[in-house]
Amino acid sequence: MLISSLILGALHAMVPLTITATGEILSERAGVVNIGLEGILLISAFAAVVGAEAGGPLAGLMVGLLTGALLGLIHGIIAVYFRGDQTVSGVGLNILALGVVAIGIVDRWGAAGFHRVERAFRVPPLSTPLGPMSPMVIVTILLAALTWYLLQHTNLGLKIQACGENPAAADAAGVRVERVRLFGAVYAGALTGIAGAYLSIDWLATITENLPAGRGFIALATVVFSRLNPWLAVLGGLIFGFFDSLGLVASTSQALTRVIPYQFIQMMPYVVTLLVVAGVIGRFRAPAASGQPYRRE
Amino acid sequence: MDPRPVEPQELDAITRRERRRQLRAALGGLAEILIALVIGLGVGALVMRGAGYNWRLAYEGLLIGSFGDQWAIADTLASATPLILTGLVFGLSARAGYFNIGAQGQMVVGALAAVAVGAHLSAPPVVAVTLAFLASALAGAIWALPPAFLKATRGVHEVISTIMFNWIAHYTALYLVFNVLNDPRSAERTVRVLPGARLGALIPGADMTAAIFVAVGVAVFMYWLLWHSPWGYEMRIAGLNPSALRYAGANPLWSVNLTFILAGLAAGLAGATQIIGRPPTYALYGDLSNVRNLGFDGIAVALIGRNHPLGIILAAIFIGAMGAGARMMQIMAGVPLDMVRIVHGTVIIALAAPEAWTLLGKFLGRARARRAPAPPAPAKTVHR
Amino acid sequence: MPDRSAPPAGAADQYKPVSVLAGAPPWLEMRGITKVYPDGTRALENVDLVVAKGEIHGLLGENGAGKSTLMKILSGILPLTSGRILLGGREVSLRSTHDALAHGIGMVHQHFSLVPTFNALDNIILGRGALLASPARAAARARIRRLMEETGLHVPLDIPVEQLPVGTQQRIEILKTLDRNVDLLILDEPTAALTPQETDQLFTVLRGLAARGTTIILITHKLREVLALTSAVTVLRHGRVVGSRLTEGATAQDLARMMVGTERMPDVKARREHQKSEPVLRVAGLTVKGDGGQDVVKNVSFEINAGEIFAIAGVTGNGQSELIEALAGLRPIARGRVYLLGQPINGKSPRELYRMGIAHVPEDRHRLGMVAQFSVLENSILGVHHEPRFRRGVPGTIHWGKVRRYARDIVRRFQVVTPSLSTPMRSLSGGNQQKLVVGRELSKSPSLVIAGQPTRGLDVAATAAIRDLLVDIRNEGKAVLLVSADLDEVLALADRIAVMYEGEIMAILQKDQFDRERIGLLMGGVRDGSAAG
Repeated sequence: MLISSLILGALHAMVPLTITATGEILSERAGVVNIGLEGILLISAFAAVVGAEAGGPLAGLMVGLLTGALLGLIHGIIAVYFRGDQTVSGVGLNILALGVVAIGIVDRWGAAGFHRVERAFRVPPLSTPLGPMSPMVIVTILLAALTWYLLQHTNLGLKIQACGENPAAADAAGVRVERVRLFGAVYAGALTGIAGAYLSIDWLATITENLPAGRGFIALATVVFSRLNPWLAVLGGLIFGFFDSLGLVASTSQALTRVIPYQFIQMMPYVVTLLVVAGVIGRFRAPAASGQPYRRE
Repeated sequence: MDPRPVEPQELDAITRRERRRQLRAALGGLAEILIALVIGLGVGALVMRGAGYNWRLAYEGLLIGSFGDQWAIADTLASATPLILTGLVFGLSARAGYFNIGAQGQMVVGALAAVAVGAHLSAPPVVAVTLAFLASALAGAIWALPPAFLKATRGVHEVISTIMFNWIAHYTALYLVFNVLNDPRSAERTVRVLPGARLGALIPGADMTAAIFVAVGVAVFMYWLLWHSPWGYEMRIAGLNPSALRYAGANPLWSVNLTFILAGLAAGLAGATQIIGRPPTYALYGDLSNVRNLGFDGIAVALIGRNHPLGIILAAIFIGAMGAGARMMQIMAGVPLDMVRIVHGTVIIALAAPEAWTLLGKFLGRARARRAPAPPAPAKTVHR
Repeated sequence: MPDRSAPPAGAADQYKPVSVLAGAPPWLEMRGITKVYPDGTRALENVDLVVAKGEIHGLLGENGAGKSTLMKILSGILPLTSGRILLGGREVSLRSTHDALAHGIGMVHQHFSLVPTFNALDNIILGRGALLASPARAAARARIRRLMEETGLHVPLDIPVEQLPVGTQQRIEILKTLDRNVDLLILDEPTAALTPQETDQLFTVLRGLAARGTTIILITHKLREVLALTSAVTVLRHGRVVGSRLTEGATAQDLARMMVGTERMPDVKARREHQKSEPVLRVAGLTVKGDGGQDVVKNVSFEINAGEIFAIAGVTGNGQSELIEALAGLRPIARGRVYLLGQPINGKSPRELYRMGIAHVPEDRHRLGMVAQFSVLENSILGVHHEPRFRRGVPGTIHWGKVRRYARDIVRRFQVVTPSLSTPMRSLSGGNQQKLVVGRELSKSPSLVIAGQPTRGLDVAATAAIRDLLVDIRNEGKAVLLVSADLDEVLALADRIAVMYEGEIMAILQKDQFDRERIGLLMGGVRDGSAAG
């Protein structure tokens, strides 16, 4: 019982980390880094609730995806065409999201800071031997597979990698660097949007002013852990997700919180993320031109 | 790049061109900030309109609440005080090439230290205040060290490490507030610091205290450090061209640590200003609401202030005014306090893309050229 | 399109010089090309270039004359400000490399355009085929094999190119461009990283291509290459065409005069002869590791005496950079001992080495030697900024007034042309930047000056000035370690030359043993058995 709830918990906590990380992997391979993932998660989580309450969970997922894609597009345009500072733009997204969602919740439901998503608007779970499981777990694996296939087995994948490693070379070979990079940014945004929708209309079944609670940044750590390989992002998502769900499970267990204060249990995913990133990073080499605007001449 | 060698007789022309260029750059920089502020306020107005609020009334409330009278101005400056410090945290780090977003956590730890020292150490007023400030500065610096160390030795990106440390500080603070520093008489806050460790209001009825002089003093120190000391000189090299740092004889490891420690000191002080320098509470709230988001707002402050100490002071007053005026905005127009975050975020996004305006100008120029009669001479003209 | 079915053997012998100047019909016409950069720099002014089909045309000029800019416009990388480009009499619009390739125009860049983590095959097929289709590696492999047979350019297809020598990368570049079926092949300084022998081989290949109808434009500043390969040449100076002429009948002197105009390359300053004295630097069995952890400097030993310029010649990337980085304290010494005036310097930091008397003009001045955004004033104390002589009362405060006097002195003595001391370094021309860097280093009153590629990318006047400075300090009795990939520079300046190849010193030659061909062979790894030590 405890084992199966831990496994399911880890799988469910993996979903937002891995989907977000997978999108960001493709984007960083193309040369665009987005540290505004946390903000995209938050805004699309909110938008997904609005969508789901209007048209059901599938509509919610779609609205989340589109919202994420739009925010990714804005970030991409700033990064690629305006050659702006990608980190600054990402920080701006994070702060903007806090405002948009705080005001949005009040505006939409009249209650400050918190809104519960009714069962009818949530993504219905599948029943498995372990217990009810979100279909998004499977979607996560499919998205990782899709991303891996795109990167490793298509001409587009070659172009993406070239744009991240040496955009001048890609340009000389006739690759339209700007478009490829913009695609990367939008792809990361769209996937993060799905992850945001999952947070609100599936896993946590609620929308709050700070729903992702740092998961956007843990997803960035997952990207580092994965060495830009989508399959390793699945593994990283599982590791981080395990401690995330451990915190959620443990903080409701009276027996445990008597020994370890619940604040320390809730701290665990962040501590583990730090330790793993510090331990694993080693010789990780990001694409040479990642995060840098490409300018001819 | 000028393909020709520069002839001495061309010098005058170059000097003039150079002066014009520098002036243009300075004006352009200012214009960029102003345009970004206008865009931020504009988007804020649009969102409020979309959500059915009276945005004119909201901005009127914002203005009255922040600059309406001497108390409002004092409240604005009180709100600006911690923001100057957290802005300096980000600004100093950015000058040295690091994206240190750990001010939030370092400030929380600093606030805890101020409570611990201020509430338990009875000493003469000046001594108590000084010790509380020192303790929180030290706590902030200690909290900043692991990210610096991980950056220098393991190559861990500071964005990830500082965010994780922010969360760890958050939960540590929640634990301490309820279990160690809690006030038996009040469930919602820690013990209050002893009267000897409190800075009084400079204008009765407003929040501003002498803490603002601490903040401005740190800004002056940062200015001296960056532009008038060899250590700041090295920090700026690290920020602009890290490869040149070792060539210049500096020790990069030392440079990372010094930057993070100094930034941490400032963040810790920011925490202290909210505890010993902010009437009437003189304690940390259980929900941490009196230090909430101050670290993140510091990022906005530094970016708007272009990471320059003077700019940071002005930007902190701007952001502080939005904080202080937000309550009046809420009262007059019913707009939630967090509205101002939409403005902050939009301003930052607009600032991230300075080339947008150049490109926009080019685009408009091209459109105008297309509408105008075709130029007679060359068959193919690419507008630059 | 080149006729791939033509027999490869002997194709080079069939090449007959073709040129518009000799009556052939024009095929490529660039008319009135002007390029103004956004910062107002006029890089090209009303330039005309006319080339016939199958012609090998040289584009000659100094660094900064506008050759690369003109060709980047032709290959769609840079937009032109005004002017027209015609191909076979029809005007074409080249707004991207994509457009240029569609018109059969391909360029091999000076700085290679290869993705370092890709192998040759992936680099060649990059950017082709349907987006979501699998890369057609098998078909490409067969096609490139054929192309390698035809051209004689053989490369390994499955090794990441970052692990391959530069000469091989150059060949991959050319194969990549040829595989696009280009009619017009532009090569930007293709021999910069090649040995003389590899250069000959490349020229044979190019003649073969031209014989089969490919038009070739060769950007170079080397007169010998123009004379050896081209049928006609266009000379650019300061962004304008000086003239075009047939290569046949031209002499190196003619071309040099067109290239540098009246500014004659001044002779290098007279050197004073003096007694051999104590060695200033003694290097014994030095081994240094590269970024990848492998040995890139292998058991190297030499001495440099006071009053001599000791030059290290060699094709770039044979360990010279790592050698000087190790001597300057920027890279750890793996094995061996190094002594400066008898004192061991192993493990010393750059700051300690400066105090012991080493000045370092780095190879990559933009990356190491200066901070581009800093003012001239701030750059003038890079490395000595911590010294008490620039301090004032308040502990640790830099006395900018004293720095100003110091900087003004450097600017005057080394004739740095700058509008003011507060001008950002990046606004200076390359030559003036380098004069400031050299001046700053020489002002440290060193006993050893390490100079890496000190004149790379500079114009004639600046080059001459820097070379004179190096001879001056030699004449003052100081030791100079000069590392340069420019063989002419090495031959003109050095008292002794060491040739480096794959991390080893092939030979150390005395002044009377200097011989261009022999050094060329040594640079290519051919030991002649009679190498003197």
